[in-house]
Amino acid sequence: MDAVIEYGDVGKFILELLKDYDVIAPVEKDNRYIFEQVDDPSRIVYNYDTTILPPIKWIYPNNEVLLRFKLSDLTEAKPVNAFRNQALLFVHPCDINAINIMDEVLAEEPADTNYLARRRSSIIIGYDCSCPCRENILCYDKGYHKADKGFDILFTDLGNRFYVTAATDIGNTIIEKSNVFIKAGYSDQTDLSKTNWERDSAFKKKIHGDINRLSHVLKDEYDDAIWEAEGKKCLSCGACVIVCPTCYCFDVVDEVCPDMEMGVRYRRWDGCQIQSFCQVASGENFRDSAAERVRHRVFKKEVYLKKRFGRSGCVGCGRCIEHCIADISIIDIFNHVMERKKGHGEI
Amino acid sequence: MSWKGKRGMERSNLLPRPATIVDIRQLTDKEKLFTIRMNEGGSLQYRPCQFVIFSIFGIGEAPISITSSPLDSGETFELCIRSAGNLTGAVHKLSLHDSIGIRGPFGNGFPLERIHGKDILIVAGGLGLAPLRSLINYVIHHRWKYGKVTILIGAKRPQDILFKEEVMKWENDSSVDTYIAVDLAETNWTRHVGVITGLFKYVDVDPLNTIAAVVGPPVMYRFVVAELLSKGIFEGNIFMSFERRMRCGIGKCGHCQINGIYLCQNGPVLSYRDARKLQEAM
Repeated sequence: MDAVIEYGDVGKFILELLKDYDVIAPVEKDNRYIFEQVDDPSRIVYNYDTTILPPIKWIYPNNEVLLRFKLSDLTEAKPVNAFRNQALLFVHPCDINAINIMDEVLAEEPADTNYLARRRSSIIIGYDCSCPCRENILCYDKGYHKADKGFDILFTDLGNRFYVTAATDIGNTIIEKSNVFIKAGYSDQTDLSKTNWERDSAFKKKIHGDINRLSHVLKDEYDDAIWEAEGKKCLSCGACVIVCPTCYCFDVVDEVCPDMEMGVRYRRWDGCQIQSFCQVASGENFRDSAAERVRHRVFKKEVYLKKRFGRSGCVGCGRCIEHCIADISIIDIFNHVMERKKGHGEI
Repeated sequence: MSWKGKRGMERSNLLPRPATIVDIRQLTDKEKLFTIRMNEGGSLQYRPCQFVIFSIFGIGEAPISITSSPLDSGETFELCIRSAGNLTGAVHKLSLHDSIGIRGPFGNGFPLERIHGKDILIVAGGLGLAPLRSLINYVIHHRWKYGKVTILIGAKRPQDILFKEEVMKWENDSSVDTYIAVDLAETNWTRHVGVITGLFKYVDVDPLNTIAAVVGPPVMYRFVVAELLSKGIFEGNIFMSFERRMRCGIGKCGHCQINGIYLCQNGPVLSYRDARKLQEAM
């Protein structure tokens, strides 16, 4: 069902949503934006550029408890996989596409059952972008600046009201149950088409050359000097992989509660850019240099995931560029290899 | 993909199944052999060179290769564990009848369907004998199915050789050729002194009919593969097991990724033909 909602009624809609869901939405924090659980609709920011951490982190949280066990009875541990329903509100298309990628990767057998349990407890309410949010993004090049699926409801700003698209049964039910939506008419749909056309023309390409050739080009540049150069800059702090909406590497850690009766096994985010990521008990490190690690991150997104799932694992959100204190830019890396190929007359 | 309407408790792929230690043997000053029985009963179905994830609640988990042959196991299986890190150090403090957790088995294991009727050359360096013992005893169990069987074993010192009694039994078994090398030895050592590749001069292979199985420390692989290739063995007939510190076993945590593959899913056993295409493998 397609509908419209007046700006002034969105708060009422969120209050309705709060009856059935924990609402996770973008709010302002120190002149930046973060996704946070909210009870007060007035705190929610619709027109944010991007958030520090992507909303997927509410489905794939850090320090997620996987199991609980009793120290007095080590034969039994209880999995933690029942979660409250949550609504991720006003998720941008790049982050919706990131969730789609994570769904596909983590549902592949053998599945990450904890992720699936949280995912099934989550609904996604998207918010279409009308223009680029920042300079260092390449969502448009990758076709991830809009979302075709992966949301239950999608809000599009028409300038004086929102156009609302329900894409799933749950989305339809939410809209039908609410009395703040009006069924969309012909003029609303015309305005939506115009808005979508304006959006597409507001974005500019960042990659020099045919991005569909990028994974092939990269494969040929495995031994390029750029990895050493970028590796020299990289501080191996892991910020890029922590803020990435499609990074899912993790470590598993046990912790015993202070009462020495109970314990938990939890997973915490880990990342291939951390120096010790590939270190084994003997002390050997299988990806010892920063150059190898930088190359692995780029290849994992653009070559390995593309080979497995048929699409790039980088949604172009630009967070890794924004948060890199060494000024490493995945856009510059992509353009470097594309330009080299052009120089060889291969593109 | 439909996500909704499928809620509720489901088995976690990261939940260990309870098991009990039913025997412990000291093998060397660093390695112990643990015999494990799953509390749920039945036998663990596995192939040689597969691994399990061993769990002690409160300490953590670590991947350990299964060392017993699937044909000898019955309702138990064996793990040879070196005390090296937090978890394995804690494992060495465990006693008989202690409860532990097991996940798995994981990985592809050794391609047994490839070795029927073939000559088999097994190259085990150090702790690499632990997973290869599973294959060796499997092959000896069905000795008539295979051609010539040759076992090369390398260790730092004579006292570091794992499964000494079994190794002596293989040495005395006329149906298999067993050669042993140690890096350092006392004067009463009568076998080869030097690196494991020094044993290849004793080995005569039919390159058209030989499958090689290699497990050992990473530094060994390049040199052993060079010897195998120089003897004319095909790249696709050389199989190696690549060990990494797997955290999950389900192809998600990223720690065992080599280029585009996850060893816990597509490995740990790879042919040299496949491994050669992975720049991070060797």
